[in-house]
Amino acid sequence: MSGTDGMMSLDVEGVSVAYPNGHLALHDASFHLASGTICALVGVNGSGKSTLFKSIMGFVNPSAGRVNINGGAVRGALKQHLVAYVPQAEEVDWQFPVSVRDVVMMGRYGEMNFLRIPRAIDKAKVEESLRRVSMWEFKDRQIGELSGGQKKRVFLARALAQGGRVILLDEPFTGVDVKTEEAIIELLRELRASGCIILVSTHNLGSVPEFCDQVVLINRTVLAYGPTADVFTEQNLAVAFGGVLRQFQFDQSTVQEHDGRTIRVLTDDERPLVFGKDGHLEYTNRKEHEELLRKRSEEHE
Amino acid sequence: MSDIFQALLVPLQYDYMLRAIWVSALVGGTCGFLSSFVTLKGWSLMGDALSHAVVPGVAVAYIIGLPFSLGAFVAGLLAAGTMALVKTKSRIREDATIGIVFTAYFALGLLLISLKPARVDLTNILFGNILGIADADIRQVLIISVVTLVVIGIKWKDLMLFCFDSNQARTLGLRPALLHVLLLSLLAATAVAALQAVGACLVVAMLVTPGATAYLLTDRFGRMLWLSAGMGVVSSIAGAYASYFLDGATGGCIVTLQTLLFLAAFIFAPKHGILASKRRVRASTSSLP
Repeated sequence: MSGTDGMMSLDVEGVSVAYPNGHLALHDASFHLASGTICALVGVNGSGKSTLFKSIMGFVNPSAGRVNINGGAVRGALKQHLVAYVPQAEEVDWQFPVSVRDVVMMGRYGEMNFLRIPRAIDKAKVEESLRRVSMWEFKDRQIGELSGGQKKRVFLARALAQGGRVILLDEPFTGVDVKTEEAIIELLRELRASGCIILVSTHNLGSVPEFCDQVVLINRTVLAYGPTADVFTEQNLAVAFGGVLRQFQFDQSTVQEHDGRTIRVLTDDERPLVFGKDGHLEYTNRKEHEELLRKRSEEHE
Repeated sequence: MSDIFQALLVPLQYDYMLRAIWVSALVGGTCGFLSSFVTLKGWSLMGDALSHAVVPGVAVAYIIGLPFSLGAFVAGLLAAGTMALVKTKSRIREDATIGIVFTAYFALGLLLISLKPARVDLTNILFGNILGIADADIRQVLIISVVTLVVIGIKWKDLMLFCFDSNQARTLGLRPALLHVLLLSLLAATAVAALQAVGACLVVAMLVTPGATAYLLTDRFGRMLWLSAGMGVVSSIAGAYASYFLDGATGGCIVTLQTLLFLAAFIFAPKHGILASKRRVRASTSSLP
């Protein structure tokens, strides 16, 4: 497969998408991503996230602007099977009579001949991908018999088996337990290290600073994009979400004084996003993160 | 004892019975294969619509002296096109769209036939006439079935992917729009073939019931394909054969048998039958402390 180890680029340039009913879903959206990045796509419902995904996958043709992958049109990238898509759970028919292994094998169809008969290499890739997401022992299960997290991992394995270099994930953490979420994030980091471009659409704001190095904020157009620390700010989020976000402000934390410098926020929904007093983001492991940022800026110089 | 045996062999001594049996089997098998895709894609209503919408095509073909399958096929695709057009260009829901379009075509067909009653026999179209099938018609059924089976044989995995996840098909560089048209064409073509065996009214049963039954019996698509095709063949052979003794409508016999198979699977299927799910409920409640 060509381009497997090459550098990748994804350029969205002035993309506008209008649907036949006249609805302008996206207007003049632009951003650029280079090899080895995990980028969060953040915006309210109806902000054009899925339209943006569709234009990167070539499902809709922009009425203006263009999407380039590795400098060429999307069609060419699809022909090389460079674009992989991990769908939302709701988009999948879980009662369809296919096993875990069948689904992952579908990622290999592009590489097989027209009869889609798996060769040894296809079988090996499928096994390797399933082992990588720790789902090999479930290979013969019908896909409906899996938990939410396991389902997600199967489709992630399909993207791995396909060898996609631009990987689009639609809400990968909904209905997923914390342990799986961590496992998925770990895997995405490995893919980033191997040079993939990973675009994650998510409502889970709290985990964005944790694993995304870039953020694209979107509401009918790209409001801002760039490194997480620069873009993922209170002001930008307020613009992107308007009044939609629930906000809790602790002007003075009595707990902190009492318990020392530890605070704990419990939530039954998505992971909350925690800002410090000066707008700094909360990380589980701040030291490791700063180390990473330092290394990256050195690489750039 | 040998008398009974002799009596059972009687139908096989008639040429028309033998022909009816093997043509039904071919049609049943072809429809069976296709029914797996139809039920999983959620096109059951579409199959019903197409089988009725082909009627004006049959009428026109007979009136101007063309092969009936050509007229039927064209009418079927026109109907599918009309439905797609109405669906995309209006706010009407899909079920209403299908309802409007297929009845419109069917009504037109009835009208045409009633204007030229001498040329076409309405009963044959509505209820099939496999016992009196003409050689030319057999040839058409044969061509349709062979082409359909070959296409399914080559493309079944692509069609499966299309039914399961057309987005994935597209990101792999396959063309879902093309697969959509292909599956629709196969559906229209087999609806035409099945028209001969069981008539327009019962075609949808041939295109849905075996697939639905197989779906209850297995969790693997490959097995589902063979099961549905096998049930299509067996029920068609047995139905055609039984119709000799019952002196009943062949189409009625075939579809009744398919329904019995479905009921058996509905109740007794090892995993998805109602007895199995009852057992599971009992097991899970009894394991509670």
